[in-house]
Order: sequence, then structure tokens, then C-alpha cells
Amino acid sequence: MTRTRTPGISRRSTLALMGAGAMTFAAPWVARAQAKTVKIGMPTILSGRVAQLGTSSRNAVMLEVEKVNAAGGLAGRQIEMVIRDSKGQPQEAARVARELVNTDGCELMIDAEASSGAFAVHEVARDLGVFCIHTNSETSALTADPKQHIPNAFRTARQGVHDSIVGGSYAAAIAKAKGLKKWATCSPDYAYGRDTTAEFTLYLKRFAPEVEIISESWPKLFQPDYTEVVTKILQAKPQALYSCLWGGDLTSYIDQANIYAMFGQMEVFAVNMADYTALTVVKNLPKGIHSGNRYIKTFPTTPENAAWGDAYKAKYNEYPTNWSWENATAIMLMAEAAKKANSADGKKIAEALKGLTIKCPFGADGTVTMRGDDHTLVGYAIGWGTTIPQEPYVPEVKAGDWKTIFELEAEWKKSKGYA
Amino acid sequence: MTELEAGRAQTLAPARSGAALRRYRDVLIALIAFAVLASLPLLSGSKALLDFVIRCSAYGLFATSLNLLVGYTGLTSFGHGMFFGLGAYSFGLIMQKLGVPIPVAFVATLAITAVVAAIIGAICVRLKEIYFAFVTLAFQMLIHSTILSWASFTGGDQGLRGGIPRPAFLGINLANHIHLYIASCALLILGLLAMRQIAQSPFGYTLRMIRDNAARASFLGIDVWRAKLTVFVLAALFASMGGMVMALFVSGAYPEFAYWTISGEAIFINMLGGVSTFLGPMVGTVLLLLLNDTVTRFTEYHGIVLGIVILFFALGLRKGLLDFVAEWYAHRRETGEGR
Repeated sequence: MTRTRTPGISRRSTLALMGAGAMTFAAPWVARAQAKTVKIGMPTILSGRVAQLGTSSRNAVMLEVEKVNAAGGLAGRQIEMVIRDSKGQPQEAARVARELVNTDGCELMIDAEASSGAFAVHEVARDLGVFCIHTNSETSALTADPKQHIPNAFRTARQGVHDSIVGGSYAAAIAKAKGLKKWATCSPDYAYGRDTTAEFTLYLKRFAPEVEIISESWPKLFQPDYTEVVTKILQAKPQALYSCLWGGDLTSYIDQANIYAMFGQMEVFAVNMADYTALTVVKNLPKGIHSGNRYIKTFPTTPENAAWGDAYKAKYNEYPTNWSWENATAIMLMAEAAKKANSADGKKIAEALKGLTIKCPFGADGTVTMRGDDHTLVGYAIGWGTTIPQEPYVPEVKAGDWKTIFELEAEWKKSKGYA
Repeated sequence: MTELEAGRAQTLAPARSGAALRRYRDVLIALIAFAVLASLPLLSGSKALLDFVIRCSAYGLFATSLNLLVGYTGLTSFGHGMFFGLGAYSFGLIMQKLGVPIPVAFVATLAITAVVAAIIGAICVRLKEIYFAFVTLAFQMLIHSTILSWASFTGGDQGLRGGIPRPAFLGINLANHIHLYIASCALLILGLLAMRQIAQSPFGYTLRMIRDNAARASFLGIDVWRAKLTVFVLAALFASMGGMVMALFVSGAYPEFAYWTISGEAIFINMLGGVSTFLGPMVGTVLLLLLNDTVTRFTEYHGIVLGIVILFFALGLRKGLLDFVAEWYAHRRETGEGR
């Protein structure tokens, strides 16, 4: 009996699909009908393991876009964000980015993708010539490598090499003061983990030549069990440990290492600890872990930064992440550049953005600059401090020195053949 | 249906002329399909539509090649995506490091794929069913891990950076969107036509016999291992072609192309479209990409929607869409003849 009905269902679902397809291809005409607003496309990761970071990027962008729109928009045009999930897959990120420009009529782009996705969107920006700000990729090569350079792409994220210089000099000072000579490392086994650890130890040894790495562990990304890693480190008996584990990996690592009372036996330097996604999730946050700042509302210690963190918390009922400030900065820079160029046109914004310095709650001295020659953000707040188990979690952060960063960065670029 | 028709063919001569006729019909259909696809840019200015067809070419070649294994030979490979990734990476690396003309890189990639597939296949096709599936999956993870760990060569998890150079050759400039579109369509149609020829050849029927009863095929004097290995390598070549189209589309290659989820997507496509007809995977590709693109426009909970769709196909239809249509059509024709 049911068999006689099945063709009907098939026809109906076919019709529904055709309708959906028609909508996909009709979208450009709908888009062009509202040309007064300026559309900014934003591929990011809204599902899967790092969805929390993608969502926090979206939140921060929306928070800033509301302010810009209330103040009159980009050169008089209201901003409309078109934010879409890339699932963290580079081919999807590329597809979504192309769709945002070609179908949805987005004139500007914020690329809130991580690692490989950012490089995929970068190729789309190269191909289509659309103005694009990378907000989340910390891979230095994205802007440092001249082969990657295109006039229409910028980056407002922190950078691996900056973090390593500041982290290395901070750790070296403590190593000297406390006589920490034997070091171990424990970082995730992929490009970010390997590169960041190599750069950190490079600068640590530069500032404190007597340091020796006696043990290296490379747990897999998203590894659930760290027992073997923890016991390996304990057996090596180092005086200090460096780790660039992040997010859920870092919190499960700390929870498991706590069982072995590891944190009482050595100084721990975990660059990604001071982010609310890690700080608020760890069950018993040990006192005295050294960490770089990711986003923390107490650093820089300005009322503007605290107010921004509180406004975000009030609106979304959670603290911002590292990705949040990077995305908020992108909108702030875009708005200022559009004001300077008196246009929402991508080419003119790109021109105005080169070398632009703006007031910003996340700046080391209250301002951040989009460096003209390699299109990357400099002057942002960067520093290291130690944790306490309750708010404000990292009460005092020692700021990194941008003069040193610039010197060593130039040297690093030369050694890589980038400059 | 074609199998039944072939079975009905009593004498050799009519069968031979019938096969030739079918071949001409296939070529004709392919030419018409190519003409329709090639004229699309004239009819619609939508770049998104062209992007969609390019992606359909990449996934279509990949999924149809998997069907040569799953549907025709009964080899359910869980690691077919390794050849998709291998194609994308080999092509991208050859273009980036050697700067040879695109056709040279294309042929070289196919050669590399053939060698790798022959080695992996020689180990895998001895195994059956779940063991075959898992060993192919293991090889896929091996290739994926190699890409991740050999960062100095492959770029690790960041993928091949800096874009794939696309120098013009024979007046074809693949950096041009329309040229890339036409080239992708041509590869898709040629690939499908070649796979169709394989499926309809005596070798294709040997594969069906192996699928239905390998022991019997063996008793009839067929070297089952060699036949399986041959189709494994052939399927890998077409998957590799799909990977190359994808690499050209995104102008890069990423470890995700060689991850098991890509193989999963191909299996999903085969389930959607159906494995008992040649064009089933192609229909599945269009369905999946259309679903993916429309659903992600509206919600980030696309996983739930796709899950419900697959449940509908698995529990509701119990077969792929084209299987369902073919059966429904056959049923209708039968009842029509009965009247």
C-alpha cells in the first residue's frame, strides 16, 4: 500500500530541492537590490571542535559593527555582515569565500579562519582581488613571506614570531634568576606546535645560552589521554616545562598533570594559558603557571580594555577569546580606514589602511598600527604573567618590549630569506 | 537493466553490434552533456553556478570512481580519499617545485598515483569485506600523517601555500575562471565516459561476477586478484583526477583532502545517489553539494540536516535516489506492459 505513495514523496522532495537550488542562484539579484548597505563576508568555523572560537569571532564582530553602524556606517553605508560556517575545512572556506563575493555581493571580507583555511581564503582574495583581513591565523609566513603578499590582504591577528620573542626573553629572565637550566617541552604535533616551540627555544637559548632541552613530547592534536606524556616529563626531571598546547588540549593536560602534582615540581610556561577558554575550564587552576596573554581584560590595564571585556560579557554572557579581540580590531581598523578614505570601496580602504595607527583598547600603548610594508598588525598588547586560581586569573602581566620585537623580527625575516 | 539485456543476448554477433551501438549512444550522450555544460556560461552570468559545476566535477569523478570499487566490484574502500589527496598534492607540488606545463604535471600525477595505488592495492585487494575496508582506511591515515609530518615538503597542516601556478598552455589559461570551468567539464565528461566504458566492457562484467561470486569467477579461470588490483588502480586514477580539479579550484592542496572524512563523503554520495546505476554517484554528488551549499547558507547546524537526509535515504528509501527512480521506472514499465 505504501508503495503507491512513494513516487509522490520523491516528486515533492525533488520540487523542494529545485526550489532551494533556484534560491541559491537567484540570490545575486536579491543582493544587488540593496546596494546602499555594504556587505562584509565572513567565513569562519561555527561547527566542530573549535566552534567556540568561531562563535566568539562572530560575537566580537557584531559588537563592533553595531557601534560603527550607530555612528553612520562605513563612509555613510550601513554594514551588513554575512557570516557563514566553513566547518574548518579549507576547501569549504574557499568555496564559502567565493560564494560570499560572487553570489551574496559582499564587497569586503573578514577571513576568520584558522591555519590552512586562512591560506585557502588568501588564494581566493588573490584570485578575486577582494579586500580581505585575516583575523585568526597566527602563522607568521602569511604576511612575512613576500610570496604571499598581495595588495588587498591584511592581518589583524597576533603572530607566532612575536609571541616567541616575547616569551623567550621573559622565560630567559626567569631561567637566569632561578637557575633553570634543564628544560622540557610538550606541544601538539602539528605545524603550529612544532614551529612555535622551535622559535620559543631559539629565543630562550639566545637570551639564556646555558639552557638545555632534555626532553621533548609531541602529543597528537586533540589527544584525550596525556598520562604517558606526563610520566615521561616527570621521569626526565626538568626544572622547567614549555608547552603551546591550547584550548581543550591544554585544560585536559593540566587536569591530568594535576593528579601527578606536576606543577609543584617545575616551573611551567604555557603560552596559551591566559585565555578565558582555558582559564575558566580547568578544574583546579594551579598557581604560578607562566603564560602569554591571549585575551584578558586586565591586560592592558586600561579602563577601555576592561570596559570592552565587560561589554562583551554583558552581551554574550561569556568572556571574549583571543579571536574576539583580533576580529574586533579588524572592524575598528576598517571603520577608521573608510573614514580616512571617505569611501567603502575595498581598494581605497586598502590604500588608507597601510601604516594606519588607530586608538584601540588592545594596543600596548592604547594604539595599534597596520604596518605598511607587510600588512600585519603591530603594537598590540603582548606580555607574560603568572596565574592565580580565581579572577582575575593573571593579576600582573609584564609587557613585552616592541622595540626588541621589531629588531629580532627583522633578523628572523632575514634568516628565513623573507627580507 | 543493461545486465539483464546483456544476459538475454543469445548469439555473439548481435551482442557485439549491440555493444557498439551502446558505445556510440554513450559518446553521443557525453557530447550532448558537454555541449550543455559548455554553453552554461553563455546562458547564466552566475559565477557561483560555474563554481558549483567545477566542484561537482571534482567530487563527481571521485565518487564515481569509488563506485567502480563499491558498486561494480563489491570492494568497499574506506580509504579512497587518499588518492583524491594524492592527486591534489602531487599535482600542486609538481607545479610549484618544477614549473612544468600543466599537461605534463597532469600525466606525471596520474603516473605517481598508478604506482602508489598498485603498491597499496597489491596489499589490500587480497583482503575481503571489513578487512579490506580497514586496511584501506589505515593506508589513508598513513598518507594523511605523512602529509602532516613532512612539513618541509608538504607544508604540514597549513597545506601547499602560495597558490598553484597555472601557466597557459595551448591557448588554455586555467587562471581564467571560464577556461578552468570548461577544462573541469571536459575532464568530468571524459572521465565519466572512460569509466562507463570500463564498466560496460567484458572486464566490467568480470568485475560484476567477482562481486557476486568471487569463487565462481576463480573457477572459470579469472585471476581475481589481478582483476581487483586493476580496477583498484583505475579507480585511483580517476579519484586523482578529481583531486587535481579540486587543487586547481582552490589553488592549493590541504591535508583535509587526504583525511578519512573525504572518503566518508564519497561513501555518503554513493548512498545518496545509489550504486546500482552508473550515474547514481553523479546524482548523489549534485544532491550532496546542493544540500551542503543551501543548508550552510541558513544554519550552522548543517550536520543535523544532513544526518536527517541520510536517515531518510537509509531507512526510508533503503537505497540511493537513482536506484529508487530506476526501480520505480522499471516497475511502471512492467505494469504498463502487463496492461
